[in-house]
Amino acid sequence: MKETKTELHFFNIMEYEKEQDYLRKRHSEGWKLKSTYPPGIYRFVRCEPEDVIYQLDYNPEGIKHQEEYVQLFRDCGWEYLFEFAGYCYFRKPASEAQGDEGIFCDDESRLEMVRRIFYGRMLPILIIFICLIFPQFADVIRQDGLSSPLFILSLIMLALFLLVFCQFAWQYRRFKQGIRR
Amino acid sequence: MDAHIRKVYVPMTETGFYILLCLRSPAHGYGIVQKVKELTRGEIMLSPGTMYGSLSKMEKDGLICFVREEDKRKIYQITDLGREVLNLELRRIERLYRNAQEALL
Repeated sequence: MKETKTELHFFNIMEYEKEQDYLRKRHSEGWKLKSTYPPGIYRFVRCEPEDVIYQLDYNPEGIKHQEEYVQLFRDCGWEYLFEFAGYCYFRKPASEAQGDEGIFCDDESRLEMVRRIFYGRMLPILIIFICLIFPQFADVIRQDGLSSPLFILSLIMLALFLLVFCQFAWQYRRFKQGIRR
Repeated sequence: MDAHIRKVYVPMTETGFYILLCLRSPAHGYGIVQKVKELTRGEIMLSPGTMYGSLSKMEKDGLICFVREEDKRKIYQITDLGREVLNLELRRIERLYRNAQEALL
């Protein structure tokens, strides 16, 4: 019987909750996460099927002071797996967790993480778009017309960015409303 | 106290309030988690992501300060500004409670 398996799965920077659910589901099927590689490769090792909560934290400050950051999570019973693409991966068996426990206990801190992703990830991409890609549009269209591969590629990237931006806005609103409630 | 601090921390989150309350004597993040669990008889379990984020933010805003490190755990303590904010918040909560009592009598 195979002891490891590899899966390809794409989650964008705003889909960390979907990713957490995906990893929890694999663990309950007897595959625990071992490592992650770009662009979306997940390596699993066979294990006893168990309900294990997976959580992702985006916190550049924590990565900078990794030792004490990880120690706090360990003290609270979370196993630290690794850091990948700015996200730290944690897990805890549901049997040891208090109900619906996660690494955040209020919507203020969930919103703070969405803000950190915005400033750390989305803003730099937006600046690249505005400064590097948009100014090229007119030239590319003039030279090669609207069917130019470069133009089409840029459009696809723009569409992807807009999708992530909408997900960001939705997530932001969700936590913001949670706070007001 | 500048307007920014007042806007961000009054009113403050439950996590923020307990951090300031506990840091009147030096403690690390997990120490605060345990203390709050004890104070609220297990009703409030602060999570590490929330705790880490709040501690970094409060340190940056000067409400708490780093004292020393012990076994990879950073120990913090409240500052004068932190005490000022805590007192403001306590007065606000007292007023809420008093008004509620009067209204419900």
